[in-house]
Amino acid sequence: MSNPAPTVSSSPDSRVPPARIKATSQLFSSLEGVFHEEVFFLILSVFIGIFSGLAVVCFRLAIDWTHLALLGPLPQSHSLRLIAVPALAGLVVAVAVLHIFPGIRGSGVNQTKSALYIFNGFIPFRTAIGKFICAGIAIGSGQSLGPEDPSLQIGASIASFLGRRLEISREKIRLMAPVGAAAGLAAAFNAPISAVLFVIEEVIGRWSAGILGSVVLSAVSSVVIVRSFLGSEPLFRIPVTTFKRPSELLAYAVLGIVGGLASVAFAKSIGYLRPRLKSLPRWTQYFQPAVAGFLVGLIGFLGFPQIMGAGYDSMDQAMHGQYAWKMLAILAVLKILATTVSFVSGTPGGMFAPTLFIGAMLGGAVGDIERIFVPQLTGSTGTYVLVGMGVLFAGFLRAPMTSVFMVLEVSGNYEIIVPVIVANTFSYLVSRSLQSIPIFDMLTRQDGLVLPSLEEEREETILHVEDAMLPVPETILSAQDYVDANAHRVQNSPESSFLVRMHPNGWNTISRDQLLRFFHEGKGELTLASVLPAQVLPSLYPDLPLDSALRYVNDYPLVPVVNRADSRRLEGVVSRDSVFKKYESGRPIQVSPS
Amino acid sequence: MIIFFPCGRSILPESRPVQSNFVEAFEPRSLGNDIVIRDMSWTVPRLIPRSAPVILLVLTLAAVTGFAAVGHLVTRFTANQQARGRKLYALGLTDAAAGRYDEAIEAFRAALTCDPTNSQYQLSLARALRDSNDPRRLDEAESYLIALWQRTPQDAAVNLALARVAAHRGSIEDATRYYHNAMYGVWNAEPDANRNRSRIELIQFLLKKNVRAQADSELIALTTALPPNPDQHLEAAQLFEQAQDYAGALSQYEEVLRLEPENAIALGGAGEAAYHSGNYATAEHYLREAVAANGNDSNARELLATADLIIRTNPFHSHISDAERNRRIAAAFAQAEDRLTNCTQQTSAATKTIGSASSLTALQSRWTQAQPDLDHLRSPGETDLPDAIMDVVFQIEQQTAATCGQPQGVDLALLLISEKRQAASQ
Repeated sequence: MSNPAPTVSSSPDSRVPPARIKATSQLFSSLEGVFHEEVFFLILSVFIGIFSGLAVVCFRLAIDWTHLALLGPLPQSHSLRLIAVPALAGLVVAVAVLHIFPGIRGSGVNQTKSALYIFNGFIPFRTAIGKFICAGIAIGSGQSLGPEDPSLQIGASIASFLGRRLEISREKIRLMAPVGAAAGLAAAFNAPISAVLFVIEEVIGRWSAGILGSVVLSAVSSVVIVRSFLGSEPLFRIPVTTFKRPSELLAYAVLGIVGGLASVAFAKSIGYLRPRLKSLPRWTQYFQPAVAGFLVGLIGFLGFPQIMGAGYDSMDQAMHGQYAWKMLAILAVLKILATTVSFVSGTPGGMFAPTLFIGAMLGGAVGDIERIFVPQLTGSTGTYVLVGMGVLFAGFLRAPMTSVFMVLEVSGNYEIIVPVIVANTFSYLVSRSLQSIPIFDMLTRQDGLVLPSLEEEREETILHVEDAMLPVPETILSAQDYVDANAHRVQNSPESSFLVRMHPNGWNTISRDQLLRFFHEGKGELTLASVLPAQVLPSLYPDLPLDSALRYVNDYPLVPVVNRADSRRLEGVVSRDSVFKKYESGRPIQVSPS
Repeated sequence: MIIFFPCGRSILPESRPVQSNFVEAFEPRSLGNDIVIRDMSWTVPRLIPRSAPVILLVLTLAAVTGFAAVGHLVTRFTANQQARGRKLYALGLTDAAAGRYDEAIEAFRAALTCDPTNSQYQLSLARALRDSNDPRRLDEAESYLIALWQRTPQDAAVNLALARVAAHRGSIEDATRYYHNAMYGVWNAEPDANRNRSRIELIQFLLKKNVRAQADSELIALTTALPPNPDQHLEAAQLFEQAQDYAGALSQYEEVLRLEPENAIALGGAGEAAYHSGNYATAEHYLREAVAANGNDSNARELLATADLIIRTNPFHSHISDAERNRRIAAAFAQAEDRLTNCTQQTSAATKTIGSASSLTALQSRWTQAQPDLDHLRSPGETDLPDAIMDVVFQIEQQTAATCGQPQGVDLALLLISEKRQAASQ
């Protein structure tokens, strides 16, 4: 009998009893079984939310600190500092972008989307660091950009880094980017629902139930983290909002139209200037952010410091009627100019906050002008400012669902949901009719990439089974009838294959030759059911995508299309030819009533 | 130039683990686009064992560490910001105290950018916005206050500020509600004085809005809560006077005099309150003391003269003999005739309306009809005659006052006696 004692005593863990080692090992083994990949991914989503939340807290502190250090708590116009600071900061940012952090230009939304669809979820961690530093300096120094999109990219980068380090499957690692993006955006805007919807509309670009749980978990956990550090104060102090008469919806429709036109102007100016600036010689890229900073600072110097930075304080004041309509309109126009030059110069920063700013100012201006002409309108300036935010969001970013929920989440007031929906719809329609490609798609196409978008998907023509459906055949055989009776029925029919109605339900198919062979083999006295091979023909429904018919049309000459309420009721049939012809023509086949 | 990954753009699910060469430390190949593609041919060693419980343990530790580190950072940042905010807040308070509301608003806003959740800063900003006399700023002030109120609805200072905003807007319902909240809310210091202060403000607002009944009930509630402080009783007495509740005012002035018997303002106020309530003997007493205490009080002196006249001419005074009463009635009757004659002359000279002239003519005929009754005053059976004669006198005084303006001297005394008798009979 061998004594294990010497082996145990020579081990470094000699003081740990073997029983305990075994128990620990068993515990780990059983825990391993619990954490299969789906569960692990969900838990990981929570951690992504936590880390993104922590990063966004630091990011917001960095922006605040930079702003206070460079511009002071409340920048006053006619101070030379307003011009010098953003210009010099632009130089610093340009050098950093060109030499240290090359992947951080722009907002970060497209980069995150590219990571999902092109790079298998890969976003360098250096991007998070670079975005944090450079966007912090740019926004803090007064460039007309927002912190939300960079937060989104920081979150996505952290998620991607975690996924790679933990070596999860490629399928999951691709999904990490949107999960982190939702966490970053939710933390930045303190609005988890809007963040989830935005990520679905703009990053994922399609509805995907598989990822929804993870996205929601990460968004919620990041918001919890941010609120635990920075409090649950909303971004704005929401004024009393009123909507009394349905006829006032006309006023909001006008706001939607004006917002749509402004969105188009904003998007077109970016779309026009961005490729031209990028095509300039490389050395100019060192100065483009500085020139943009100079121009933005000049606007501030000339009396409009409200347009510098994200501008949430000014939005808050506009919401409480602090500006007359002329000032609101001027601020909206200047913000479009300032954001355009800041963004096209390649300065890292987002368009989320500027979009809200422009919408807020435009909404307030339109509301005030409308009230001058129609004093009976009951909506306060604050109501129009809130609705205006959603209007620009719907028109410029072309995220209609996010725009509605964003206003509701920010205001916490469901009374204005109808004006928001009406105005956003008009804005969206005007914008879509005047500019076919949404801003983010336009940016990706300028970069030579084509990524899927929810808007494309919404507009895509989906072919259904009913589009390729042929009329109900004149001759339908019954499995209960004798073979000779069925053979007699098909004698004068031009068809080569026939559907057979099975008893009590179901369908089968038989060719003319097969039926005649049974007849000549002397099986005429037998029922068709007894001679047919035991198979059940699959059936389709008219509303199914036509792709689903492809699985069967090669195996069966005819596939029945039945009614969803009554599977014995035949609506038509599809064949290999009818399906392929439909795909070739793309036009619906005229089905005559049977 | 764009360089794509060898794995292409497909997003079809693959369950293979990602290759460990997915790492970020690569040099960019292109700077022409915002999306930079990198080479991926570098491998790093695995840092932690691929065991789910271990990974989760490590992640938890990292999260806790991150939480602590960020917490420390936030605390330090917040402390710095709060210090900066306090300085700006102090500047704002100085500006607000000096009435420089625009500067105060800027300072408070700056303080709030440093410490956005500070209730005191928000309250001060809201007060400055409200007091800046810019109607556009009331909305913003109100929204700050409502946000504070939602957090601490029992905070009396916030309720008082909201009440003042509502008072600025002229909203009686909201103002009353918030003033009441302030009275019954929580005060950090001097709760009783602040509650009374709030009620006094409410009363002043209600009187300004001419909501007399509600103001009266608030005044009654106020008197029950006042401490033995002459200043507060004096203020309450003046509010009673504003509300034309002279009995209440007299009571409050007497309370002041109980605490400070030599208070000249209270003496004058008590005299005036007694005078207006028709208590001329008391008025004469207090007014005499007020004039003695402050010889420059011309109002008290004037009221004293009138009160004196009333006391000397009033035929219904209880402590006079029948002969004296008859003498006073006769004197009043003669005075009324003089007043009527003068007024008739004034009216005809000024070609007044036919209605006034005819009513004066009717009074003249009534006076003439009543004149013989003077001789029957001494008759023991004619107990109603004094009233009947004085009715004629009072009608003459009232009509002439309406036609020819407020009288002076004895006519004024007779008019006031008539008003007091009318009020008593009603």
